[in-house]
Amino acid sequence: MSTPILQLKNVTKIIGGKKIIDRLNFEVPRGEIFGFLGPNGAGKTTTIRMMVGLMRMTEGDILIDGKSISRHFEQAIIKVGAIVENPEMYKYLTGFQNLTHFARMVPGISKERIQEVIKLVAMENRIHDRVSTYSLGMRQRLGLAQALLRKPQLLILDEPTNGLDPAGIRELRDYLRKLTREENISVLVSSHLLSEMELMCDRVGIIQNGKLVDVKSMKEFTDTGDSFKVLFEVGDKEVASMLLSAEPAIAFNLIDDGLEIVLNRDGIADVTERLVRGGVKLYGIKKIATSLEDKFLEMTRGGQIV
Amino acid sequence: MFNLLMNEHMKIYRRLRTWLMFMVLIAGTVTLLIVVHNDLTKGDWKVDLTKQITRDQQRLSRPDIPADRKAEMQQRLAVDQYRLKNNMPPTELSLWGGVLTSANLLVAITMLTVIIAGESVAGEFSSGTIKLLLIGRASRSKILLSKYITTLVFALLMLTALFGTAFVTSGILEGFDQVGLPYLYATPDLVVHESNMFTYAMSTYGYKCVEMVLLVTMAFMISTVFRSISIAIATSVGLTFGGAAIAAFFSSRQYWWAKYYLFENTDLTVYLTNSPMIDGMTRDFSVGVIVVYFVMFIAASWIVFNKRDVTA
Repeated sequence: MSTPILQLKNVTKIIGGKKIIDRLNFEVPRGEIFGFLGPNGAGKTTTIRMMVGLMRMTEGDILIDGKSISRHFEQAIIKVGAIVENPEMYKYLTGFQNLTHFARMVPGISKERIQEVIKLVAMENRIHDRVSTYSLGMRQRLGLAQALLRKPQLLILDEPTNGLDPAGIRELRDYLRKLTREENISVLVSSHLLSEMELMCDRVGIIQNGKLVDVKSMKEFTDTGDSFKVLFEVGDKEVASMLLSAEPAIAFNLIDDGLEIVLNRDGIADVTERLVRGGVKLYGIKKIATSLEDKFLEMTRGGQIV
Repeated sequence: MFNLLMNEHMKIYRRLRTWLMFMVLIAGTVTLLIVVHNDLTKGDWKVDLTKQITRDQQRLSRPDIPADRKAEMQQRLAVDQYRLKNNMPPTELSLWGGVLTSANLLVAITMLTVIIAGESVAGEFSSGTIKLLLIGRASRSKILLSKYITTLVFALLMLTALFGTAFVTSGILEGFDQVGLPYLYATPDLVVHESNMFTYAMSTYGYKCVEMVLLVTMAFMISTVFRSISIAIATSVGLTFGGAAIAAFFSSRQYWWAKYYLFENTDLTVYLTNSPMIDGMTRDFSVGVIVVYFVMFIAASWIVFNKRDVTA
């Protein structure tokens, strides 16, 4: 159990003389949900294509459960279930026929297993309809069912929340949590949306222009004494601003809704205490921008694609 | 491998379009045979044949007939006289006439199979399903092989449908009583031989299949290499109809390289009567050219498919 399920070693991809992916190194331990985060065009999908053997690496290697995807493709790929970009299926076939199709490609998948995954993604009612009649959300679910057929140890999902409604995203999140907890499956999810990553992942790797900028656990992101922009909704803004002006370390903005202050965790407690002691009515304290978002924008320098 | 074949078959035969193709083929065959049947003269074949024999004999007595034409006529005459003597009506009047005429519809089968071949790989790319297909456990070579075999099986099924439809329709139109009619041919010494008509019909279809298999393999190759359904189908259908015309043009111009052009070689029946498109070509040469082209098509498909980075 000690080898990480996924290891990237110096993975490099050069297309037409241009380095698309530049020496990526990271690992995903078992049972973890790893977020692969980056602006569009950063190389997320290219990296994922190399993980599942759709593209060749120019240099480096990717190991799945210790097996190289380039040298031992069959042994490595069998451990992986994946959706690469959109969950494209044969539209003229039914959902069930599609699942049968993909089940046949891997030895040892029983009819019961097909029924099992259909139930898992709650598609029983529509599974015998043609895929062309499915909504995008249903296609996502069918794609997930396909990826789970072979009981993978590593689930790779490329932008899985694209096209899902909030309820669908939440469902997916809960489901991935369940999978990792109960079946010790590891998940790699790519996304360009931070808010989803924050809720879903244990760790996040940020990629920018083909380079890995940083890998951090969600805890590190939020608990490092970083500052947030916080909105205090107060009853009397004038009293509140007078109270806070006494302390020069606190810089605040007066806006329509209340006071906007950049603070760390302790700072929030401190300001709250001052306001309450001073008799200001406090109706709400809100983080306006998440730290991850600031971090992300800072790290990727505004998300410019070079 | 068997599972992969089942998958490929499912993807073809679960589509309504495929069955429409079969229906078009069958309807076309029936129509053709009815038209041909109505064109046939309905007189007594013995009277007609006697007239034909007299006409041929008169023409043969003229001094200005070229030698090869003369030999040909003498052979025909021998066969016709043999028919009269043994009470064997001409092939065209039996159900075998319809079966042999229908062999011309192989062009239609070629076209329909080219559509299937052209979509085979390129279709997976354009729908994006190639990704899920390749991250199954099967190797790329096996996937490609299963697709190629499935395409050929489709052609074979179409052939069976054509032959079966022609046999049944023609039998209903002309009667099944002449089913045992032998195929007659005269050797240059003017001795008439009987051979099995079914075997002869099969070989007629077989010879025409050579060109079909090559065109289908070419469509498959283009589909794999260029990932474009339309290029694959357009090129192959174009050559289905234009290939022979281009061949005739090349051979009429006497280019030295014309004999290496594929479609100068695909009609192997010319060697049965020993009249190749270009002097000096032999059957072995043509078979050699065909094999070289075939191997090139297959090699290009396999190499490209195995090496390609999938970005669809």
